[in-house]
Amino acid sequence: MAYYILKRLLAIIPTLLGVAVLIFLLLRVVPGDVVEARYMGEGGQFQSQDLMQIERKKLGLDQPLWKQFTGWMWGILHLDFGLSMWTGAPITEEIQLRFALSLQLALMASTVAVLLAIPLGILAALKQDTWVDYAVRVFSIAGLAMPSFWLGILMILSMLIFFKWLPPMVFTPLWVNPWENLAQLIWPALAVGYRYSAVGTRMMRSTMLEVLREDYIRTARAKGLWLKLILTRHALKNAILPVLTIMSLEFAFLLGGLVVTEQVFNLNGLGMLFVEGIARRDYTLIQALVMLVASAFLFVNFFVDIAYAWLDPRIRYR
Amino acid sequence: MAVTPHTVDELTRAAEPRSGWIAAVAKFARERPLGAIGGVIILVMVVVAATAGFLAPEDPLATDYAAMLSAPGPGHWLGTDAFGRDVLSRMIYGSRTALMVGLGASLIGATFGGVIGVASAYFGGRADLLVQRVMDVFFAFPVIILALAVVSILGTGVGNVILAIAVPMVPRCARVVRASALSVREMPYVDAARAAGYGHRRIILRHMLPNVMAPLLIMATAFLGEAILLEASLSFLGLGVTEPTAAWGLMLRGAAVEFAESAPWMAVFPGLAISLAVFGFNLFGDSLRDALDPRLRTQ
Repeated sequence: MAYYILKRLLAIIPTLLGVAVLIFLLLRVVPGDVVEARYMGEGGQFQSQDLMQIERKKLGLDQPLWKQFTGWMWGILHLDFGLSMWTGAPITEEIQLRFALSLQLALMASTVAVLLAIPLGILAALKQDTWVDYAVRVFSIAGLAMPSFWLGILMILSMLIFFKWLPPMVFTPLWVNPWENLAQLIWPALAVGYRYSAVGTRMMRSTMLEVLREDYIRTARAKGLWLKLILTRHALKNAILPVLTIMSLEFAFLLGGLVVTEQVFNLNGLGMLFVEGIARRDYTLIQALVMLVASAFLFVNFFVDIAYAWLDPRIRYR
Repeated sequence: MAVTPHTVDELTRAAEPRSGWIAAVAKFARERPLGAIGGVIILVMVVVAATAGFLAPEDPLATDYAAMLSAPGPGHWLGTDAFGRDVLSRMIYGSRTALMVGLGASLIGATFGGVIGVASAYFGGRADLLVQRVMDVFFAFPVIILALAVVSILGTGVGNVILAIAVPMVPRCARVVRASALSVREMPYVDAARAAGYGHRRIILRHMLPNVMAPLLIMATAFLGEAILLEASLSFLGLGVTEPTAAWGLMLRGAAVEFAESAPWMAVFPGLAISLAVFGFNLFGDSLRDALDPRLRTQ
């Protein structure tokens, strides 16, 4: 087991390195850089090239690519992501501010998704091919079809029209005022959670259908066990693993992938930061964000694998 | 698998040699009512897109500053936007953009993903391992972030958006196709082709690729809906299709949110169109998967 964990852990390194190379090169292919973005923004199309060159030198953009890359990598090894090219503040500081919000939103949305997916999936499996099953399927496919930003607009709109009330538009940390905080974040969490529940619902339905056909369920039924007990003690335990897997993988993406939803609800999270970073060509910031999201994904993936191996003794580690 | 199916019709016919395609469609509709509903939605969308010039009451780009933000009524059935443009007409023309981006991205993504997946399985060994690792790198990115990165390189506009959406699709497609291609590689006809001295390219494109069409087709249909959604998201962010092109995501941007309270029609109807279109493609794709791939069937 220890060998398996070590092997899986080591396999993350080349992938992360690949992500680093890819995003580093992608950014440098983009026409324009942070210096241009800043001076063009100020209407200074005629800024002297010398001045811009000096700025570039300050940011280290005049150095050859390999030197920039190794410098960046060396910093990461020391957990130093450098300074934002736009604001000049340390990246860790920039990200920290938004991370709390994004993490909380991702956690809340996942909770909503799990709370929807598991009961609905079980229900659909138990009532297979009846109108209940169809209704659940339509409900979940509709969730996948509705853009969560549109759902967000509709939510805000209906609250405004029917209750003459708007959720707070300024972020309050949970520890400052939990009520304000939840009043703002519950809506995006619902909009996003509904969407992400769809994948889980379908997974839950199909694994449940599979498990319900197993011999041990038939045995349990034959000996007259109470249906509720069969479901919770025998079936659910076996069917829930793949569902939790797929949902935890989604979770990593919720952390950085809520670009559009954050826009609608005016949330200053990691997604918003990413879009700003792209507009400003803030290389160091984008690189750090991408590395953060990618490593979150890879580590969640890793932990899921380990948990799987640990929970299901049938899986052999090689 | 001696037959090399190319289309849905052929596939259904392959399963049931005696019935014609009308019977096949009828059977599909009878057995999978949800899929049939999806099919009808897609059909309606295609017809609307094809006859947009005839259906739309007004020019989707014509501004009428005298009728800015007017409510739905006889003149403008679904109201007008902040430039006085007819919302209904823009929605009708928007279906063209959605279909174009959806089909374009799926076609490009499935083609490249299919060829990479098959080639990876065919060559095996180190080449396969390398391709797999590169795919892993792409998987570590959220789809929207990858698409945003590509758009910021290529710039906005319909063509670039198609490419930006196709890029995240390639690794997904390649992974699924590789899995099926691994078993195809062991088929006697591949050995026969090799023995006959055919080149790698011919074996990959002519012998193996046609035999993994079923999973490829399933992936492509499933991705169509997602592509339409992605296009809407990108356009909503202002990084997709650009004004004044009629596109659903774009219609939800800016004024639609600003004036949502006083002119809700601007925010409600285009979103409805996106949802309905994606809903149709997802329903259809789901049923198609059930019908074509017995291994994935849950009954």
